[in-house]
Amino acid sequence: MTGVGIENVLISLILAAVALAIGFFWKIPVQKNMSIGIIRSFIQLIAVGYALKYVFDLESIWLISAVILVMILVGSHASYSMSKQVRGAFLISFAAIGTGSLITLCFMLILKIITFEARFIIPLSGMIISNAMNAAALAINRLSSDIKSNRLAVETALALGKGKRESCRRFQQQAVIAGMTSILNFMKTVGIVALPGAMTGMILAGAEPLEAVFWQLIVAYMLLSSVTISSIIAVELTLTSHFTPHHQLKLKS
Amino acid sequence: MTGPDSAEPQNPILRAENISLEVINGGTRKNIITDFSFDFYRGKIYNILGPSGAGKSSLLRLFNRLDEATGGKISFNGKELNQYNPCRLRRRVGYLFQIPYMFPATVKDNLLYVDPSLSDDTIVSMLLEVNLEPDYLASNVEVLSVGEKQRVAMARLLIMKPEIILLDEPTSALDEKNSSLLLKLVKNKVSGDGITAIIVTHDSRQALMFDGETLLIIKGKLVEHGPAKQLISHPKTESGRSFLKGSGE
Repeated sequence: MTGVGIENVLISLILAAVALAIGFFWKIPVQKNMSIGIIRSFIQLIAVGYALKYVFDLESIWLISAVILVMILVGSHASYSMSKQVRGAFLISFAAIGTGSLITLCFMLILKIITFEARFIIPLSGMIISNAMNAAALAINRLSSDIKSNRLAVETALALGKGKRESCRRFQQQAVIAGMTSILNFMKTVGIVALPGAMTGMILAGAEPLEAVFWQLIVAYMLLSSVTISSIIAVELTLTSHFTPHHQLKLKS
Repeated sequence: MTGPDSAEPQNPILRAENISLEVINGGTRKNIITDFSFDFYRGKIYNILGPSGAGKSSLLRLFNRLDEATGGKISFNGKELNQYNPCRLRRRVGYLFQIPYMFPATVKDNLLYVDPSLSDDTIVSMLLEVNLEPDYLASNVEVLSVGEKQRVAMARLLIMKPEIILLDEPTSALDEKNSSLLLKLVKNKVSGDGITAIIVTHDSRQALMFDGETLLIIKGKLVEHGPAKQLISHPKTESGRSFLKGSGE
């Protein structure tokens, strides 16, 4: 497929209208959210398209870095809003998402898998950061709720002379797994249940299927790396936020 | 400074000096413990008696630093608690929770959790000490009764060879047989090994059973103290009389 334009997008809005009509006919109370979603996605994506065109044309290292920083900040805020009950959730999310994403990006640059060009860095950063964001939020929430609901187990271990890390070891492991579940499931089913987004996009844009597959594999391993690092950092920092330096459990009141 | 006996020859193993604990709950400050001072000596039993919510368990948690006092000073063997590594301190000042938690595994695993290098002989002798047969070692903790769990928890605590044991309402969930087993065990450890036992209870009958120096705490304050029988039969203060009237005596 080539030469897709705004007219094709406007025509595809018919499908959205059909979805709205079905919702209305079946009296599913989602018309408002659906309408907002249709308008927001249209405005946001068109705006991003123009912004990316500007960034790609300019090819400035500072501008690219600023875009990555904004993405990390927005991702951290989204992760924070999913785990507000945890002390320091924003900073934990920022450190976890930022470290996981930047280490992964740096490795890809050092190993010359990609070059420092906006057309590589920006979309890959978007994928990395959004996956790291979900992983961090899930890991933070899981560990925090496990510590709260297993307070007696944690304090029994502390009272038996164990440190905070040993007292929460199994909850830490579960939380890291929670953060990684989505990427692990993705890797298990990729290509069988669905063709993933990056690959589909490339094929739609006219790329060779094999080239698209190679890119998709790179994306999968890249996401595995960032999600693992982000989950582990999120869990470590969440653990620290639940204890005093004297291995005393402190729960937010 | 108050103490059980002014002619006490030894230094206190645990000294609390004007300690207070204040917590902020839902934006409001609450005093849990106010200006508590007392000296605890080696090889003795102490009961901390008082109504529910008086701050008794909170006090125990300060003694092994599961929580931090907001004011005052607590010393163990002459050194302030904050001079000890908290994990090492907690092995010397052991804590038995009111509802003992068992790690989901076998009895043996629960005992080895404290010290993985323990020999089988030591584990067996520890079980016998709390009146459990060695057959229990392979049992999953889920099949144990409350009394058996309490005894396994006690064995797990004693493996650390603590100098002080802090027991939070240790017999509240136990039947008469298990209560007397625990009582006998605590008394043996105190008289035989010179351990200090500090037992929290809301029940004056339990304080009488354990005997020893009894501290009456009401609304976070030490109201009075004395030998269990004397304090419970002849409380000196009005608040003491009023509490004990409704506490089984």
